[in-house]
Amino acid sequence: MNRERLWRLARHSGTRLLGGALVLWVTATLAFFGLKLVPGDPALSILGTGNPTAETIAAFNHEYGLDEPLAVQYALYFERLLRGDLGMSYAQHSAVAGIVAGQVGATFQLTLSALLTAWVIVLAWTLLTAGRRGWWSGLGSGVETVAAALPPFWLAILLLAIFAFGLHLFPPAGSDGLRTLILPSLALALPLAGFIGQVTRESLEITLEQPFVLTARTRGVGDWAVRWRHALRHSVLPGLSLSGWAIGALISGDVVVELIFSRKGLGRQLVQAVQVRDLPLTIGITLVVAIGFVLANWLVDLIYNLVDPRLGRNIQ
Amino acid sequence: MSGGTLIYATDREPLCLDPHSEGDMPQVFIAQQFLDSLVSMDDNGRIGPWLAKSWEVSADGLVYTFHLRDDVRFTDGTPLTAEAVRANLDHMIDPKTQSSTDKNYIVRQYVRTDIIDEHTAAVHLSRPYAAFLEVLSQGFLGIESPTALKRPEQANCESPVGSGPFKVVRWDRQNQIVLERNPDYAWGPPTALHQGPAYLDRIEWKIIPDPSVRFASVQSGDVDVIDTLPPEAHAPARGNPDLTLVLRNRPGNPTNGTFNITREPFSDRRVREAFVRAANVDGALKSVYFGEFPRAEGPLSSVTPLYSADFEHAQDYDPQLAGRLLDEAGWTRRDADGYRTKSGRRLSVVIPEDEYLSVSERALWEQVQASTKKVGFAVDLQPASHAVMMNRVYTGWDYDARIEYWNTNTPDVLRYLFGADFIGSVGPFHSNGSGYNDPQFDRVMEQALETQDQDVRRQLYHQAQQTISQQYLQLTTYPQSTRLAIYKTAHGVRVEPSLTITYLYDAWVTK
Repeated sequence: MNRERLWRLARHSGTRLLGGALVLWVTATLAFFGLKLVPGDPALSILGTGNPTAETIAAFNHEYGLDEPLAVQYALYFERLLRGDLGMSYAQHSAVAGIVAGQVGATFQLTLSALLTAWVIVLAWTLLTAGRRGWWSGLGSGVETVAAALPPFWLAILLLAIFAFGLHLFPPAGSDGLRTLILPSLALALPLAGFIGQVTRESLEITLEQPFVLTARTRGVGDWAVRWRHALRHSVLPGLSLSGWAIGALISGDVVVELIFSRKGLGRQLVQAVQVRDLPLTIGITLVVAIGFVLANWLVDLIYNLVDPRLGRNIQ
Repeated sequence: MSGGTLIYATDREPLCLDPHSEGDMPQVFIAQQFLDSLVSMDDNGRIGPWLAKSWEVSADGLVYTFHLRDDVRFTDGTPLTAEAVRANLDHMIDPKTQSSTDKNYIVRQYVRTDIIDEHTAAVHLSRPYAAFLEVLSQGFLGIESPTALKRPEQANCESPVGSGPFKVVRWDRQNQIVLERNPDYAWGPPTALHQGPAYLDRIEWKIIPDPSVRFASVQSGDVDVIDTLPPEAHAPARGNPDLTLVLRNRPGNPTNGTFNITREPFSDRRVREAFVRAANVDGALKSVYFGEFPRAEGPLSSVTPLYSADFEHAQDYDPQLAGRLLDEAGWTRRDADGYRTKSGRRLSVVIPEDEYLSVSERALWEQVQASTKKVGFAVDLQPASHAVMMNRVYTGWDYDARIEYWNTNTPDVLRYLFGADFIGSVGPFHSNGSGYNDPQFDRVMEQALETQDQDVRRQLYHQAQQTISQQYLQLTTYPQSTRLAIYKTAHGVRVEPSLTITYLYDAWVTK
């Protein structure tokens, strides 16, 4: 890779990162004002299970700066945010950073495992069925279309009913170890595999028509080797770029799947935080998720540029 | 009968493990495993010793002198002394803890604790409070290490330290809380089945919010015990030879709709009774809860100390009577939709429903809506977010009935619910949700707190239950309950009597 290309790549990445920062700022601001618009008093929501005194409520409002005007609250909030301080959760009375740190691992694990599972399914299924004659290819794309249309929550309940409630093959709930990871990962991975599979199949079928494939075949390379060694690396690019988007879809799927399988994680925590109008925790989780999404897309973009040098020329 | 790990699954995760702080039921469920109380309560509601060997109450009822055991150590090594009693009671009313439950129980009476000697503490009250020992026996007022209480609130929420049979070792949020046996434990309550350390090595307290997932987990043996068994699972659980059911009603005020009598139409006693008589609660319980929940008709649940069974039929379904009462009250005409009217106004009843209200509870009230409609009530069930409920219902008076309950082990609960002092209450949240203001009733409740004589108390609380029952201030539906399903691997799982909470001290597992 020459110096000029490296420079172009760095500048491109820099622009993307700046755009990412803008996304984060907008996210935080929307979350802040969105939650402020919801009717109700956070002090009462959080203290109200029993009977807080006026004194208690005043102490609470003061502790979290809720007795200041809205603009001041917003300014204070951003000033702290820039220093890397996500603030204190109203409901849990502890640092948002600590709560998020405790949950982010489980969500990362689930997201990554779902993405990898989806890719394994895509590779196996498309390599096996793409570009075949007749019903075999039709079956391949038919299954993908159906899979892509499955809502993760429905699939999660179905998997739970069959494999946990019915056959007792997997525990129905929990966050400990591989056995509790399999069903939630599948619930997220199957619809995603449908999406990625559709674009990968199309791309693979186009590639299999290319002259260089014909050349390979005439050289006597077997069908499986043609697909695996020659055609595949030309066909994964659209699927790869779709994976950046997929991470966003997976994170929203995480919320539902974590709830259904009683898994720990950011998604379930977010639902709880919104329910009690725990502003700092809601924004904290939203920001961390947004950072994950921005970083993942930046990374995909970078990998894409590295994998396919042709793109470098169009960046300017 | 020793060793092993018991896996317990519950529906809600506590926000703080220290039950002094805030005071929500999930906190006391787990605190009961690692905290001891000053006194114990048995199945008949009698108070016995625990951390206090004995106590005296001064003749005027204002000083409670507790003689503590001298052999008790908290799991951080701090010995139990009179200073610990003082630190705990002070902690419960400290605004820093943002306590609601404990504060409600003692803040109006508690003055200070004097240390007489190392193991004798004298608690001074501002007014007689015969229910003091009853509330002290609740896990919500469990005794914590004074050394640990000196830490910031957050630390105490995450790893509270008690003297109980287990200690908290780890809290993996949204997944589980891990407890381990306290090997030095030698001060179990007299109500326990054994003495000395607990049998279990370890408890994994899992959080599984979904009821069907929780039930499936115990059916497959992935967990040993679950609580809050959904009523629809009772029958399959009974039919499953691997499972045992424990169903116990909780003491206190049963689940109910409390009428707002500060405005029309429920300002009229006859309209209140008409609504109660028109509501076919038995039918609703049968269809919504599969007949698994008994009807509660009096203001107290039947397992509350000093409960009287005399009012068990005061709310029997009687639509004819309901119709006559409404005629008497002047709601004689009917509009085009069949609802009763008076001077052109429709007989409408607004019932806001909190977002936290369960689906089955909503279904129950829909049936109440349907059966009262036949007599001419227009019930408007309005879904509302918790925040809106706070403003409209818990701190305001914008409702005709609000759905609630109160778990506690003393008939003094009637004072929080119907006493004039609690209309404005300690904070903006008014625990008196009816607005009932009756100096004569308040006097009876005060008198009941001034005597230690159980017979006199029984008589006074009988009078109180009678007044509330005759006033028709609530439509009571069913008692709150503790419902456990226990897999064949777990044994000796008991429910303690003060708040009907699972107590794992006597439990063991065979795996």
